[in-house]
Amino acid sequence: MVKKYAAFLFALATCFSLVACATHVEPWEKGLLAKPDMALDANHIDEALDDHIYFSKEASSGGRSFGGGGCGCN
Amino acid sequence: MVKAGDGDVLSSQKLTITPIQAGYQALFFAMGSPCEIQIRSVLPPERSRQLLVDCYHEASRIEKKYSRYRCDNLVSQMNSATRVQVDEETHRLLDYADHCYRASSGLFDITSGVLRRFWRFDGNSTTLEPDESAIQDVLSCIGWDRVYWEAPWFQLPPQMEIDFGGIAKEYAVDRVALYLKDRDLDQILVNFGGDLAVYTSDSQRYEPWTVGIEQPHAHGQAAQSVSLYNGALATSGSTHRYCRINDRIYGHILNPKTGYPVEDAPLSVTTFSDTCTQAGMLSTFAMLHGRAAEPFLQAQQVPSWVIRP
Amino acid sequence: MQLITITDFSGVTSARKSNGFKQELTFATAALLGLSVAAPSVAEEPGPWKIETAGLVYSESDSRVSAFEPVVSAKKEFGEDRVFNAKLVLDSLTGATPTGALSSDNVQTFTRPSGQGSYTIQPDELPIDDTFKDTRVAFSAGWLQPLTSTLKGGVGVNVSAEHDFRSLGLNGNLSKDFNQRNTTLNLGLGFESDTINPEGGVPVAFAEMQPANSTPTRQAEDDDKTVVDTLIGITQVVNKRTLMQFNYSVSQADGYLTDPYKILSVIDDATGLLVSSTGVNRYTNLYENRPDKRTKQSVYWRTKYRFDRDMFDVSYRYLWDDWDIRSHTIDTRYQWRFAPNQYLEPHFRYYQQSEAEFYRPALLNSDVTNNTLPEFASADLRLADFSAITFGAKYAHRMASGSEWHLRLEWYQQSGESSPDGLVGAAKDQDVFPTLSSVIFQAGYAFEW
Repeated sequence: MVKKYAAFLFALATCFSLVACATHVEPWEKGLLAKPDMALDANHIDEALDDHIYFSKEASSGGRSFGGGGCGCN
Repeated sequence: MVKAGDGDVLSSQKLTITPIQAGYQALFFAMGSPCEIQIRSVLPPERSRQLLVDCYHEASRIEKKYSRYRCDNLVSQMNSATRVQVDEETHRLLDYADHCYRASSGLFDITSGVLRRFWRFDGNSTTLEPDESAIQDVLSCIGWDRVYWEAPWFQLPPQMEIDFGGIAKEYAVDRVALYLKDRDLDQILVNFGGDLAVYTSDSQRYEPWTVGIEQPHAHGQAAQSVSLYNGALATSGSTHRYCRINDRIYGHILNPKTGYPVEDAPLSVTTFSDTCTQAGMLSTFAMLHGRAAEPFLQAQQVPSWVIRP
Repeated sequence: MQLITITDFSGVTSARKSNGFKQELTFATAALLGLSVAAPSVAEEPGPWKIETAGLVYSESDSRVSAFEPVVSAKKEFGEDRVFNAKLVLDSLTGATPTGALSSDNVQTFTRPSGQGSYTIQPDELPIDDTFKDTRVAFSAGWLQPLTSTLKGGVGVNVSAEHDFRSLGLNGNLSKDFNQRNTTLNLGLGFESDTINPEGGVPVAFAEMQPANSTPTRQAEDDDKTVVDTLIGITQVVNKRTLMQFNYSVSQADGYLTDPYKILSVIDDATGLLVSSTGVNRYTNLYENRPDKRTKQSVYWRTKYRFDRDMFDVSYRYLWDDWDIRSHTIDTRYQWRFAPNQYLEPHFRYYQQSEAEFYRPALLNSDVTNNTLPEFASADLRLADFSAITFGAKYAHRMASGSEWHLRLEWYQQSGESSPDGLVGAAKDQDVFPTLSSVIFQAGYAFEW
């Protein structure tokens, strides 16, 4: 149980340090970030297909976003 | 009537403000061009005059800051090949120049000003070909991709120069127009040497602005005119700024990759857009497309006027 | 004198939507002048349908499973950032999967899951059930729209069906922008309800696999489970080239989590030999049993870095659950844009998991006869200790029309312990976890319509 909370706290800490070390980026500096390949779902087709394979071959799934559509996967 | 293209409205260093129908007009000379601002409003006269004075100061500020002919400003510091920390406004201009460099695959390059040494575009005919080897030498001093630019730090390699001339005037038009737009005016016209922006608060109640587009080799005679309530026009090239070498006419847009003027470029391109800066850049991009200027403008679906020799 | 009057600017503004070059210039100019980028003049009319299609072939080297998966996804903007998306996936699977039973020096005969008919496995071969032929259809749709200027909300639904499994899911999410849109907080909630209807019915836990054509020991026709997913995440603009994402998610599954087709071999405590059962070449095999609850938690970190042209994407996930599974996943890809309209993207993934606390390669005969079987047990290799690597590359080419096609080829390889704890005697000589290699090939085409 302690281990679980430790991981969560670590997560939270990383999360805040990440925000803290970020420099402020003005709207007009976001040209590169606005490129389509920088979108977090730029590869959504590949990712969904891969997730389905890994879901049926491994004991882990999810984490990135919602799984979207369960399957029997035997 | 206001002329687009390189106009010759007035040549005066000083600001003059005169009443016109339902408003005021300011005339001054800045950025190498005659400048004109007209506002129509029901504001008290002293308020209108103050707004025009503010605009004049803004235009002068931009000229002073970004002129390449001064040795006491930021640009001269940036051209000294030392590392310079730039302010936020310059930061945005550099990012914009960077975007335009990429978008034009390197044809729009604010470091290409050094090429002007070889080409004089005053419309006079000459028999001199520029020295080929000298041009090759100077090409090594051009290339935005070689500039160190990691905001706020800027540094040029030795012997390179930057020039905001391709952006500053249109930028000043937009700055002034945006300043005035927030001031409860009925109609605004900002025209710096033919690059202009207009605004009308309620198009039901006012006449549109009528703007002339200059025709080739007959400056002063506006042969085509455009009516608009809102938006901006900007012209790249000029119907009287070209050079003639051995009976061949060279337009004044230079290709930073060859050192020569862009082949088969139009004499001038005028485009319409929401902002003067964007209109100016679309005009310049069209010029850089040479003989493909018209297809380029068509593909961008930009209202435009192209003048060819 | 010719007079042209420009009074209708809608042509100018609508062109901006369909034209990337001018749109980017507008964006850059707006940034220069400090104008709001989503200018009010931007057309309200819906954008085109963005269609992405792809087909994936998955093939395991020793001709175990092969799958063909075509997918069509459609997305449309309805102005004001309101987006609809839908996706249809077909998944046709053939081949055989390991049943959980041990390989042995003898021929083994197994009953098919339906109870009708049987199949035999040659000596030293991993028992696999080759009756799997299944087609799955999955459909999902979602709607996303701004709620306030900094808050976005989305809802989605997904359904999937195959001959023995049905799933219905609903999800909702909220994202809130802070810090001039440099920080985004995401919250998501998903609910899924599944019904499993196994061939031959749901087996009784630890019931022995009956000879073919006799009545199998079944507890019910079907069973179900529910899954509740929650996700809290943060997306941060680190600088003008770097984007970072951080998620914490919890997934709680409740209900029938056992695999109704998986069995365990029973071995003799001393010799490790399979325990015989009635019939020719038949040995004792018991149906597995898993807990009816599972809580998975994971932390996920991802960074995308944009070079002037290239892009680097790396992510790490740590997952843990109350079945004692711990897993690490590292995924990296580098998008090399060697030409303005083409890129090559090498991809590497490493995955490692520890076994579930109730994983065992086989059951001991003494536990069966003394009635001292553990509460839960499974020999499913997906619950074993193993690691996997994936490497491959994707090539994409954007054509002058704006359409893009791509090809992707990857290798996936799993390797685990061939003789894990819990085996004795002869059973130790059997390879419980033969290395699995498979090839993934994908071709896709994306266009606007």
